[in-house]
Amino acid sequence: MIQFSDVTKYYDDDLVLKDLTFTVGKGELAFLTGPSGVGKTTLLKLIYAAELPDEGNIVVAGWDIRKLKQNTIPYLRRHVGIVFQDFRLLFNKTVFDNVALALRIHDMHPKEIREDVLEILKEVRLKHKAHIYPQHLSGGEQQRVVIARAMVSKPTVLLADEPTGNLDADTSLAITNLFREINARGTTVLIATHSASLYQGTGRRVFHLRDSNIEKETVG
Amino acid sequence: MRIFLYSLQTALKSIWHEKWINLLTVLSISIGLLILSSFIVITLNMDSVLQRWSKSFGLVAYLDEDLTKEAESTLEELLRQDEDILEVRYISKDRAAQEIQTILGDDARILEDFRENPLPSSFELRLKTELLDPELVRKKAEAIQEMSGIEEVQYGEKWLSSLSTIAQMMKMGTVFLGCAIFTAIIFITYSTIKIFFYRRKDEIETLKLLGATKSFIRLPFLLEGLFIGTTGGLISAFALFGLYSVVLVKIPELLPSVTILILSLPLEAYISVTLAGALMSFTGSFFAVGKIRY
Ligand SMILES: Nc1ncnc2c1ncn2[C@@H]1O[C@H](COP(=O)(O)OP(=O)(O)OP(=O)(O)O)[C@@H](O)[C@H]1O
Ligand SMILES: [Mg+2]
Repeated sequence: MIQFSDVTKYYDDDLVLKDLTFTVGKGELAFLTGPSGVGKTTLLKLIYAAELPDEGNIVVAGWDIRKLKQNTIPYLRRHVGIVFQDFRLLFNKTVFDNVALALRIHDMHPKEIREDVLEILKEVRLKHKAHIYPQHLSGGEQQRVVIARAMVSKPTVLLADEPTGNLDADTSLAITNLFREINARGTTVLIATHSASLYQGTGRRVFHLRDSNIEKETVG
Repeated sequence: MRIFLYSLQTALKSIWHEKWINLLTVLSISIGLLILSSFIVITLNMDSVLQRWSKSFGLVAYLDEDLTKEAESTLEELLRQDEDILEVRYISKDRAAQEIQTILGDDARILEDFRENPLPSSFELRLKTELLDPELVRKKAEAIQEMSGIEEVQYGEKWLSSLSTIAQMMKMGTVFLGCAIFTAIIFITYSTIKIFFYRRKDEIETLKLLGATKSFIRLPFLLEGLFIGTTGGLISAFALFGLYSVVLVKIPELLPSVTILILSLPLEAYISVTLAGALMSFTGSFFAVGKIRY
Protein backbone atom coordinates (compact mmCIF):
# COMPACT_ATOMS: atom_id res chain seq x y z
CA MET A 1 0.00 0.00 0.00
CA ILE A 2 2.90 2.34 0.83
CA GLN A 3 6.13 1.52 -0.90
CA PHE A 4 9.41 3.48 -0.68
CA SER A 5 12.36 2.44 -2.85
CA ASP A 6 15.73 4.15 -2.34
CA VAL A 7 14.09 7.44 -1.48
CA THR A 8 16.36 10.38 -0.86
CA LYS A 9 15.07 13.76 0.27
CA TYR A 10 16.92 17.03 0.72
CA TYR A 11 15.66 20.38 1.95
CA ASP A 12 17.92 22.59 -0.16
CA ASP A 13 21.31 21.19 0.86
CA ASP A 14 20.20 19.49 4.06
CA LEU A 15 19.87 15.77 3.74
CA VAL A 16 16.83 14.42 5.60
CA LEU A 17 16.28 10.94 4.20
CA LYS A 18 18.86 8.82 2.35
CA ASP A 19 18.14 5.70 0.28
CA LEU A 20 15.11 4.83 2.32
CA THR A 21 13.40 1.58 1.43
CA PHE A 22 10.39 0.11 3.24
CA THR A 23 6.89 -1.15 2.64
CA VAL A 24 3.68 -0.97 4.60
CA GLY A 25 1.31 -3.64 3.38
CA LYS A 26 -2.37 -3.34 2.61
CA GLY A 27 -4.41 -3.38 5.80
CA GLU A 28 -1.33 -3.14 8.01
CA LEU A 29 -0.97 -0.88 11.03
CA ALA A 30 2.64 0.23 11.51
CA PHE A 31 4.56 2.77 13.58
CA LEU A 32 7.30 5.21 12.70
CA THR A 33 9.49 6.49 15.49
CA GLY A 34 12.70 8.38 16.05
CA PRO A 35 14.08 11.49 17.69
CA SER A 36 12.70 14.92 17.01
CA GLY A 37 13.88 16.39 13.72
CA VAL A 38 14.85 13.05 12.21
CA GLY A 39 12.35 13.34 9.38
CA LYS A 40 9.14 11.57 10.40
CA THR A 41 6.88 14.36 9.25
CA THR A 42 8.92 14.68 6.06
CA LEU A 43 8.43 10.99 5.35
CA LEU A 44 4.68 11.34 5.78
CA LYS A 45 4.64 14.43 3.54
CA LEU A 46 6.29 12.38 0.82
CA ILE A 47 3.38 9.95 1.03
CA TYR A 48 0.74 12.60 0.33
CA ALA A 49 2.88 14.49 -2.18
CA ALA A 50 3.29 17.62 -0.09
CA GLU A 51 7.01 17.08 -0.69
CA LEU A 52 8.57 15.32 -3.63
CA PRO A 53 11.53 12.92 -3.36
CA ASP A 54 14.83 13.95 -4.91
CA GLU A 55 15.64 10.37 -5.75
CA GLY A 56 13.88 7.03 -5.61
CA ASN A 57 10.30 5.97 -6.08
CA ILE A 58 7.21 6.09 -3.92
CA VAL A 59 4.00 4.23 -4.68
CA VAL A 60 0.92 4.91 -2.56
CA ALA A 61 -2.33 3.01 -3.11
CA GLY A 62 -1.22 2.32 -6.64
CA TRP A 63 -0.24 5.92 -7.44
CA ASP A 64 3.33 6.56 -8.48
CA ILE A 65 4.09 9.79 -6.64
CA ARG A 66 6.78 10.97 -9.04
CA LYS A 67 4.50 10.60 -12.03
CA LEU A 68 1.57 12.43 -10.48
CA LYS A 69 0.30 15.44 -12.37
CA GLN A 70 -0.78 18.54 -10.50
CA ASN A 71 -4.37 17.79 -11.38
CA THR A 72 -4.31 14.27 -9.97
CA ILE A 73 -2.72 15.10 -6.61
CA PRO A 74 -6.13 15.91 -5.04
CA TYR A 75 -7.42 12.47 -6.03
CA LEU A 76 -4.46 10.77 -4.35
CA ARG A 77 -5.05 12.84 -1.22
CA ARG A 78 -8.68 11.78 -1.05
CA HIS A 79 -7.40 8.28 -0.44
CA VAL A 80 -5.11 9.45 2.33
CA GLY A 81 -6.47 10.70 5.66
CA ILE A 82 -3.98 12.82 7.55
CA VAL A 83 -3.75 13.67 11.24
CA PHE A 84 -1.46 16.68 11.01
CA GLN A 85 1.10 17.29 13.72
CA ASP A 86 0.14 20.99 13.65
CA PHE A 87 -3.61 20.17 13.47
CA ARG A 88 -4.49 22.61 10.66
CA LEU A 89 -7.90 23.29 12.12
CA LEU A 90 -9.82 26.28 10.80
CA PHE A 91 -10.67 28.60 13.63
CA ASN A 92 -13.47 30.35 11.81
CA LYS A 93 -15.42 27.12 11.44
CA THR A 94 -17.12 25.01 14.05
CA VAL A 95 -15.93 21.53 14.97
CA PHE A 96 -18.71 20.14 12.80
CA ASP A 97 -17.73 22.23 9.78
CA ASN A 98 -14.04 21.44 10.21
CA VAL A 99 -14.75 17.75 10.02
CA ALA A 100 -17.37 18.19 7.30
CA LEU A 101 -14.84 19.99 5.10
CA ALA A 102 -13.16 16.67 4.31
CA LEU A 103 -16.47 15.47 2.83
CA ARG A 104 -17.61 18.71 1.20
CA ILE A 105 -14.78 18.55 -1.29
CA HIS A 106 -16.48 15.44 -2.59
CA ASP A 107 -19.78 15.71 -4.38
CA MET A 108 -21.66 14.40 -1.39
CA HIS A 109 -25.20 15.01 -0.21
CA PRO A 110 -25.41 17.37 2.80
CA LYS A 111 -27.58 14.90 4.64
CA GLU A 112 -25.03 12.12 4.28
CA ILE A 113 -22.29 14.53 5.29
CA ARG A 114 -24.22 15.37 8.42
CA GLU A 115 -24.75 11.75 9.33
CA ASP A 116 -21.13 10.74 8.75
CA VAL A 117 -19.73 13.72 10.63
CA LEU A 118 -21.94 13.20 13.67
CA GLU A 119 -21.10 9.52 13.64
CA ILE A 120 -17.35 10.09 13.67
CA LEU A 121 -17.67 12.85 16.29
CA LYS A 122 -19.44 10.35 18.47
CA GLU A 123 -16.54 7.94 18.02
CA VAL A 124 -14.02 10.53 19.21
CA ARG A 125 -16.47 11.53 21.95
CA LEU A 126 -16.94 15.09 20.76
CA LYS A 127 -20.51 15.02 19.49
CA HIS A 128 -21.61 17.40 22.21
CA LYS A 129 -19.00 19.95 21.06
CA ALA A 130 -20.00 19.89 17.40
CA HIS A 131 -21.04 23.53 17.31
CA ILE A 132 -18.12 24.92 19.24
CA TYR A 133 -15.20 26.70 17.60
CA PRO A 134 -11.83 24.91 17.91
CA GLN A 135 -10.17 27.72 19.87
CA HIS A 136 -12.55 26.95 22.75
CA LEU A 137 -11.43 23.33 22.89
CA SER A 138 -8.61 21.85 24.94
CA GLY A 139 -5.49 20.60 23.16
CA GLY A 140 -6.62 17.01 23.43
CA GLU A 141 -10.07 17.84 22.11
CA GLN A 142 -8.55 19.66 19.15
CA GLN A 143 -6.42 16.62 18.51
CA ARG A 144 -9.51 14.46 18.40
CA VAL A 145 -11.21 16.79 15.95
CA VAL A 146 -8.21 16.40 13.65
CA ILE A 147 -8.42 12.64 13.96
CA ALA A 148 -12.13 12.72 13.20
CA ARG A 149 -11.51 14.84 10.10
CA ALA A 150 -8.83 12.45 8.87
CA MET A 151 -11.09 9.44 9.32
CA VAL A 152 -14.46 10.75 8.24
CA SER A 153 -13.89 10.18 4.53
CA LYS A 154 -12.96 6.52 5.19
CA PRO A 155 -9.58 6.79 3.48
CA THR A 156 -7.58 3.83 2.18
CA VAL A 157 -4.52 5.04 4.03
CA LEU A 158 -4.49 6.87 7.34
CA LEU A 159 -1.38 8.80 8.35
CA ALA A 160 -1.16 10.06 11.93
CA ASP A 161 1.63 12.43 12.89
CA GLU A 162 2.08 12.42 16.67
CA PRO A 163 -1.63 11.82 17.25
CA THR A 164 -1.41 11.49 21.02
CA GLY A 165 1.07 14.25 21.69
CA ASN A 166 -1.51 16.22 23.63
CA LEU A 167 -3.42 13.44 25.25
CA ASP A 168 -3.36 11.88 28.70
CA ALA A 169 -2.77 8.16 29.05
CA ASP A 170 -6.46 7.24 29.12
CA THR A 171 -7.40 9.26 26.08
CA SER A 172 -4.29 8.04 24.29
CA LEU A 173 -5.46 4.53 24.84
CA ALA A 174 -8.92 5.34 23.55
CA ILE A 175 -7.44 6.95 20.45
CA THR A 176 -5.08 4.04 19.87
CA ASN A 177 -8.06 1.74 20.06
CA LEU A 178 -9.81 3.93 17.53
CA PHE A 179 -6.90 3.51 15.11
CA ARG A 180 -7.03 -0.22 15.64
CA GLU A 181 -10.72 -0.26 14.85
CA ILE A 182 -10.16 1.74 11.71
CA ASN A 183 -7.40 -0.63 10.78
CA ALA A 184 -9.61 -3.63 11.48
CA ARG A 185 -12.06 -2.24 8.89
CA GLY A 186 -9.31 -2.47 6.29
CA THR A 187 -7.59 0.91 6.37
CA THR A 188 -3.81 0.92 6.20
CA VAL A 189 -2.51 2.98 9.13
CA LEU A 190 0.91 4.55 9.65
CA ILE A 191 1.47 6.37 12.95
CA ALA A 192 4.51 8.57 13.61
CA THR A 193 5.29 9.04 17.28
CA HIS A 194 8.06 9.60 19.84
CA SER A 195 6.25 7.82 22.55
CA ALA A 196 7.17 4.17 22.92
CA SER A 197 4.10 3.56 25.07
CA LEU A 198 1.96 3.96 21.99
CA TYR A 199 3.41 0.95 20.19
CA GLN A 200 4.64 -1.22 23.02
CA GLY A 201 2.65 -4.37 23.33
CA THR A 202 0.79 -3.86 20.06
CA GLY A 203 2.61 -6.61 18.21
CA ARG A 204 2.89 -4.28 15.19
CA ARG A 205 5.93 -3.36 13.14
CA VAL A 206 7.84 -0.27 14.26
CA PHE A 207 10.30 1.56 11.97
CA HIS A 208 13.04 3.34 13.88
CA LEU A 209 14.37 6.36 11.97
CA ARG A 210 17.86 7.62 12.75
CA ASP A 211 20.48 9.46 10.71
CA SER A 212 18.40 9.72 7.55
CA ASN A 213 17.49 6.07 7.40
CA ILE A 214 15.66 3.22 9.08
CA GLU A 215 18.11 2.12 11.71
CA LYS A 216 16.10 -0.91 12.71
CA GLU A 217 12.67 -2.47 12.49
CA THR A 218 11.16 -3.98 15.63
CA VAL A 219 7.88 -5.44 16.70
CA GLY A 220 6.13 -3.43 19.39
CA MET B 1 -23.75 20.60 -8.44
CA ARG B 2 -23.52 20.24 -4.67
CA ILE B 3 -20.00 21.54 -4.91
CA PHE B 4 -21.35 24.52 -6.80
CA LEU B 5 -23.98 25.12 -4.13
CA TYR B 6 -21.37 24.85 -1.40
CA SER B 7 -19.10 27.30 -3.25
CA LEU B 8 -22.01 29.66 -3.66
CA GLN B 9 -22.72 29.43 0.04
CA THR B 10 -19.07 30.10 0.84
CA ALA B 11 -19.06 33.06 -1.55
CA LEU B 12 -22.23 34.52 -0.06
CA LYS B 13 -20.85 34.15 3.45
CA SER B 14 -17.68 35.93 2.44
CA ILE B 15 -19.67 38.66 0.70
CA TRP B 16 -21.63 39.24 3.89
CA HIS B 17 -18.63 38.86 6.16
CA GLU B 18 -16.57 41.40 4.20
CA LYS B 19 -19.51 43.60 3.34
CA TRP B 20 -17.73 46.94 3.66
CA ILE B 21 -14.84 46.14 1.37
CA ASN B 22 -17.32 44.58 -1.03
CA LEU B 23 -19.61 47.57 -0.91
CA LEU B 24 -16.69 49.87 -1.65
CA THR B 25 -15.62 47.73 -4.57
CA VAL B 26 -19.15 47.52 -5.93
CA LEU B 27 -19.60 51.29 -5.71
CA SER B 28 -16.26 51.98 -7.40
CA ILE B 29 -17.23 49.67 -10.21
CA SER B 30 -20.64 51.23 -10.64
CA ILE B 31 -19.23 54.75 -10.65
CA GLY B 32 -16.71 53.74 -13.30
CA LEU B 33 -19.36 52.11 -15.43
CA LEU B 34 -21.73 55.04 -15.01
CA ILE B 35 -19.09 57.49 -16.20
CA LEU B 36 -18.33 55.30 -19.17
CA SER B 37 -21.93 54.70 -20.15
CA SER B 38 -22.79 58.39 -19.81
CA PHE B 39 -19.92 59.16 -22.12
CA ILE B 40 -21.10 56.57 -24.60
CA VAL B 41 -24.63 57.98 -24.52
CA ILE B 42 -23.35 61.52 -25.14
CA THR B 43 -21.19 60.33 -28.02
CA LEU B 44 -24.05 58.39 -29.56
CA ASN B 45 -26.33 61.39 -29.31
CA MET B 46 -23.68 63.66 -30.77
CA ASP B 47 -23.29 61.24 -33.59
CA SER B 48 -26.99 61.07 -34.33
CA VAL B 49 -27.23 64.84 -34.25
CA LEU B 50 -24.32 65.08 -36.65
CA GLN B 51 -25.93 62.53 -38.89
CA ARG B 52 -29.11 64.52 -38.98
CA TRP B 53 -27.30 67.74 -39.66
CA SER B 54 -25.29 66.29 -42.43
CA LYS B 55 -28.42 64.79 -44.00
CA SER B 56 -29.84 68.24 -44.46
CA PHE B 57 -26.48 69.52 -45.51
CA GLY B 58 -26.05 70.59 -49.09
CA LEU B 59 -24.16 72.59 -51.63
CA VAL B 60 -25.35 75.78 -53.16
CA ALA B 61 -24.27 76.40 -56.73
CA TYR B 62 -24.74 80.05 -57.75
CA LEU B 63 -25.31 80.59 -61.42
CA ASP B 64 -23.74 83.08 -63.78
CA GLU B 65 -25.66 86.34 -63.90
CA ASP B 66 -26.36 86.27 -67.62
CA LEU B 67 -27.38 82.66 -68.03
CA THR B 68 -30.32 82.03 -70.35
CA LYS B 69 -33.36 80.05 -69.28
CA GLU B 70 -32.36 77.26 -71.66
CA ALA B 71 -28.83 77.10 -70.32
CA GLU B 72 -30.23 76.96 -66.80
CA SER B 73 -32.46 73.99 -67.58
CA THR B 74 -29.70 72.10 -69.40
CA LEU B 75 -27.54 72.64 -66.35
CA GLU B 76 -30.36 71.44 -64.10
CA GLU B 77 -30.80 68.38 -66.28
CA LEU B 78 -27.08 67.71 -66.10
CA LEU B 79 -27.08 67.94 -62.30
CA ARG B 80 -30.11 65.69 -62.01
CA GLN B 81 -28.30 63.04 -63.98
CA ASP B 82 -25.39 63.11 -61.55
CA GLU B 83 -25.66 59.99 -59.43
CA ASP B 84 -24.06 61.62 -56.39
CA ILE B 85 -26.75 64.22 -56.17
CA LEU B 86 -29.99 63.22 -54.52
CA GLU B 87 -31.98 66.36 -54.95
CA VAL B 88 -31.77 69.47 -57.01
CA ARG B 89 -33.79 72.54 -56.11
CA TYR B 90 -33.83 75.53 -58.37
CA ILE B 91 -34.01 78.87 -56.64
CA SER B 92 -34.68 81.75 -58.91
CA LYS B 93 -33.51 85.31 -58.27
CA ASP B 94 -37.00 86.28 -57.14
CA ARG B 95 -37.37 83.37 -54.84
CA ALA B 96 -34.00 84.14 -53.29
CA ALA B 97 -35.12 87.68 -52.68
CA GLN B 98 -38.31 86.45 -51.03
CA GLU B 99 -36.44 84.11 -48.81
CA ILE B 100 -34.09 86.86 -47.74
CA GLN B 101 -37.10 89.03 -47.03
CA THR B 102 -38.66 86.47 -44.73
CA ILE B 103 -35.39 86.05 -42.92
CA LEU B 104 -34.62 89.73 -42.54
CA GLY B 105 -38.17 90.94 -41.98
CA ASP B 106 -38.24 94.70 -41.73
CA ASP B 107 -34.58 94.95 -42.44
CA ALA B 108 -35.31 93.70 -45.92
CA ARG B 109 -35.70 97.33 -46.89
CA ILE B 110 -32.01 97.40 -47.66
CA LEU B 111 -32.87 95.39 -50.75
CA GLU B 112 -35.06 98.19 -51.97
CA ASP B 113 -31.97 100.32 -52.36
CA PHE B 114 -30.97 98.17 -55.30
CA ARG B 115 -32.59 99.02 -58.55
CA GLU B 116 -32.26 95.49 -59.66
CA ASN B 117 -32.40 92.30 -57.60
CA PRO B 118 -28.72 91.65 -56.79
CA LEU B 119 -29.18 88.03 -55.84
CA PRO B 120 -28.14 85.34 -58.33
CA SER B 121 -30.24 82.30 -59.18
CA SER B 122 -28.93 79.12 -57.70
CA PHE B 123 -29.30 75.37 -57.35
CA GLU B 124 -29.48 73.81 -53.92
CA LEU B 125 -28.01 70.36 -54.12
CA ARG B 126 -28.35 67.55 -51.63
CA LEU B 127 -25.62 64.92 -51.79
CA LYS B 128 -25.83 61.22 -51.16
CA THR B 129 -25.07 60.38 -47.54
CA GLU B 130 -22.09 58.24 -48.50
CA LEU B 131 -20.48 61.37 -49.78
CA LEU B 132 -20.73 63.27 -46.52
CA ASP B 133 -17.08 63.28 -45.80
CA PRO B 134 -15.35 66.66 -45.81
CA GLU B 135 -12.80 65.61 -48.41
CA LEU B 136 -15.36 64.08 -50.80
CA VAL B 137 -17.65 67.05 -50.46
CA ARG B 138 -14.77 69.36 -51.34
CA LYS B 139 -13.95 67.32 -54.46
CA LYS B 140 -17.57 67.32 -55.57
CA ALA B 141 -17.84 71.04 -55.02
CA GLU B 142 -14.75 71.61 -57.16
CA ALA B 143 -16.13 69.41 -59.90
CA ILE B 144 -19.41 71.33 -60.02
CA GLN B 145 -17.53 74.61 -59.97
CA GLU B 146 -15.86 73.56 -63.23
CA MET B 147 -19.19 73.22 -65.04
CA SER B 148 -19.99 76.09 -67.37
CA GLY B 149 -22.63 78.45 -66.16
CA ILE B 150 -21.68 78.02 -62.51
CA GLU B 151 -20.36 81.14 -60.90
CA GLU B 152 -19.51 79.78 -57.48
CA VAL B 153 -20.14 76.79 -55.26
CA GLN B 154 -20.55 77.28 -51.56
CA TYR B 155 -20.59 74.67 -48.89
CA GLY B 156 -20.00 74.62 -45.16
CA GLU B 157 -16.53 73.20 -45.45
CA LYS B 158 -15.29 74.35 -42.06
CA TRP B 159 -18.45 73.26 -40.36
CA LEU B 160 -18.46 69.88 -41.89
CA SER B 161 -14.85 69.11 -41.20
CA SER B 162 -14.85 70.37 -37.63
CA LEU B 163 -18.07 68.52 -36.84
CA SER B 164 -16.72 65.27 -38.12
CA THR B 165 -13.42 65.86 -36.31
CA ILE B 166 -15.34 66.38 -33.08
CA ALA B 167 -17.32 63.22 -33.69
CA GLN B 168 -14.12 61.29 -34.39
CA MET B 169 -12.46 62.61 -31.26
CA MET B 170 -15.46 61.80 -29.13
CA LYS B 171 -15.43 58.26 -30.45
CA MET B 172 -11.73 57.85 -29.82
CA GLY B 173 -12.10 59.38 -26.39
CA THR B 174 -14.86 56.91 -25.59
CA VAL B 175 -12.78 53.96 -26.68
CA PHE B 176 -9.85 55.20 -24.62
CA LEU B 177 -12.04 55.84 -21.58
CA GLY B 178 -13.63 52.42 -22.03
CA CYS B 179 -10.25 50.68 -21.97
CA ALA B 180 -9.15 52.70 -18.94
CA ILE B 181 -12.32 51.97 -16.97
CA PHE B 182 -12.38 48.30 -17.88
CA THR B 183 -8.78 47.98 -16.75
CA ALA B 184 -9.62 49.83 -13.56
CA ILE B 185 -12.51 47.46 -12.83
CA ILE B 186 -10.27 44.46 -13.41
CA PHE B 187 -7.68 45.91 -11.02
CA ILE B 188 -10.22 46.84 -8.34
CA THR B 189 -11.73 43.36 -8.29
CA TYR B 190 -8.28 41.83 -8.52
CA SER B 191 -7.10 43.56 -5.37
CA THR B 192 -10.30 42.93 -3.43
CA ILE B 193 -10.35 39.23 -4.26
CA LYS B 194 -6.60 39.00 -3.64
CA ILE B 195 -7.17 40.31 -0.11
CA PHE B 196 -9.83 37.67 0.51
CA PHE B 197 -7.59 35.03 -0.96
CA TYR B 198 -4.72 35.92 1.38
CA ARG B 199 -7.05 36.05 4.34
CA ARG B 200 -8.09 32.50 3.63
CA LYS B 201 -4.62 31.25 2.80
CA ASP B 202 -4.49 28.79 5.71
CA GLU B 203 -7.87 27.44 4.81
CA ILE B 204 -6.79 27.00 1.21
CA GLU B 205 -3.64 25.15 2.28
CA THR B 206 -5.74 22.80 4.39
CA LEU B 207 -8.23 22.30 1.59
CA LYS B 208 -5.40 21.32 -0.75
CA LEU B 209 -4.14 18.78 1.77
CA LEU B 210 -7.59 17.33 2.21
CA GLY B 211 -7.82 16.70 -1.53
CA ALA B 212 -9.83 19.64 -2.83
CA THR B 213 -9.57 20.19 -6.58
CA LYS B 214 -8.42 23.48 -8.02
CA SER B 215 -11.89 24.37 -9.16
CA PHE B 216 -13.27 23.71 -5.69
CA ILE B 217 -10.75 26.18 -4.31
CA ARG B 218 -11.26 28.75 -7.05
CA LEU B 219 -15.00 28.71 -7.44
CA PRO B 220 -16.02 30.70 -4.34
CA PHE B 221 -13.63 33.51 -5.31
CA LEU B 222 -14.79 33.57 -8.90
CA LEU B 223 -18.42 33.63 -7.78
CA GLU B 224 -17.67 36.45 -5.40
CA GLY B 225 -15.96 38.42 -8.17
CA LEU B 226 -18.87 37.75 -10.45
CA PHE B 227 -21.29 38.92 -7.79
CA ILE B 228 -19.33 42.12 -7.17
CA GLY B 229 -19.19 42.94 -10.88
CA THR B 230 -22.80 42.12 -11.57
CA THR B 231 -24.00 44.18 -8.63
CA GLY B 232 -21.78 47.08 -9.68
CA GLY B 233 -23.11 46.78 -13.21
CA LEU B 234 -26.74 46.63 -12.08
CA ILE B 235 -26.35 49.67 -9.85
CA SER B 236 -24.82 51.67 -12.68
CA ALA B 237 -27.53 50.49 -15.07
CA PHE B 238 -30.21 51.72 -12.68
CA ALA B 239 -28.35 54.98 -12.10
CA LEU B 240 -28.02 55.44 -15.85
CA PHE B 241 -31.72 54.83 -16.30
CA GLY B 242 -32.54 57.36 -13.58
CA LEU B 243 -30.14 59.95 -14.91
CA TYR B 244 -31.36 59.48 -18.45
CA SER B 245 -35.01 59.80 -17.50
CA VAL B 246 -34.27 63.05 -15.66
CA VAL B 247 -32.26 64.41 -18.58
CA LEU B 248 -34.97 63.48 -21.08
CA VAL B 249 -37.51 65.43 -19.07
CA LYS B 250 -35.31 68.32 -18.03
CA ILE B 251 -33.47 69.20 -21.24
CA PRO B 252 -36.51 70.35 -23.23
CA GLU B 253 -37.70 72.18 -20.11
CA LEU B 254 -34.47 74.05 -19.51
CA LEU B 255 -33.42 74.55 -23.10
CA PRO B 256 -36.57 74.62 -25.21
CA SER B 257 -34.62 75.94 -28.18
CA VAL B 258 -32.50 72.82 -28.31
CA THR B 259 -34.44 70.49 -30.47
CA ILE B 260 -31.89 67.74 -30.21
CA LEU B 261 -33.48 64.39 -30.53
CA ILE B 262 -32.10 62.26 -27.76
CA LEU B 263 -31.96 58.60 -28.59
CA SER B 264 -33.93 56.51 -26.19
CA LEU B 265 -31.69 53.87 -24.64
CA PRO B 266 -32.60 50.31 -25.55
CA LEU B 267 -32.82 47.59 -22.91
CA GLU B 268 -29.71 46.06 -24.45
CA ALA B 269 -27.72 49.07 -23.32
CA TYR B 270 -28.58 48.40 -19.67
CA ILE B 271 -27.91 44.70 -20.06
CA SER B 272 -24.55 45.46 -21.67
CA VAL B 273 -23.53 47.69 -18.77
CA THR B 274 -24.35 44.91 -16.32
CA LEU B 275 -22.60 42.26 -18.39
CA ALA B 276 -19.53 44.45 -18.82
CA GLY B 277 -19.26 44.81 -15.06
CA ALA B 278 -19.72 41.09 -14.54
CA LEU B 279 -17.18 40.13 -17.19
CA MET B 280 -14.49 42.56 -16.03
CA SER B 281 -14.84 41.54 -12.39
CA PHE B 282 -14.80 37.90 -13.29
CA THR B 283 -11.56 38.47 -15.19
CA GLY B 284 -10.11 40.36 -12.22
CA SER B 285 -10.97 37.62 -9.75
CA PHE B 286 -9.67 34.98 -12.13
CA PHE B 287 -6.26 36.64 -12.16
CA ALA B 288 -6.41 37.25 -8.40
CA VAL B 289 -6.81 33.56 -7.62
CA GLY B 290 -4.03 32.78 -10.07
CA LYS B 291 -2.35 29.46 -10.48
CA ILE B 292 -2.93 26.92 -7.75
CA ARG B 293 -0.12 24.49 -7.05
CA TYR B 294 -0.16 21.54 -4.73
N1 LIG C 1 10.12 22.85 4.65
C1 LIG C 1 11.34 22.62 5.20
N2 LIG C 1 12.40 23.31 4.76
C2 LIG C 1 13.63 23.09 5.28
N3 LIG C 1 13.89 22.23 6.24
C3 LIG C 1 12.87 21.51 6.74
C4 LIG C 1 11.54 21.69 6.24
N4 LIG C 1 10.71 20.86 6.92
C5 LIG C 1 11.50 20.19 7.80
N5 LIG C 1 12.79 20.57 7.70
C6 LIG C 1 13.90 20.04 8.44
O1 LIG C 1 13.98 18.66 8.15
C7 LIG C 1 14.26 17.92 9.32
C8 LIG C 1 13.19 16.89 9.57
O2 LIG C 1 12.01 17.54 9.93
P1 LIG C 1 10.68 16.75 10.31
O3 LIG C 1 9.62 17.76 10.58
O4 LIG C 1 10.41 15.76 9.26
O5 LIG C 1 11.12 16.04 11.64
P2 LIG C 1 10.25 15.12 12.63
O6 LIG C 1 10.91 13.84 12.70
O7 LIG C 1 8.84 15.16 12.21
O8 LIG C 1 10.42 15.91 14.00
P3 LIG C 1 9.36 16.01 15.20
O9 LIG C 1 9.38 14.70 15.90
O10 LIG C 1 9.92 17.09 16.05
O11 LIG C 1 8.06 16.35 14.62
C9 LIG C 1 14.39 18.93 10.45
O12 LIG C 1 15.74 19.21 10.65
C10 LIG C 1 13.66 20.15 9.91
O13 LIG C 1 14.26 21.32 10.43
MG1 LIG D 1 7.12 15.87 12.94
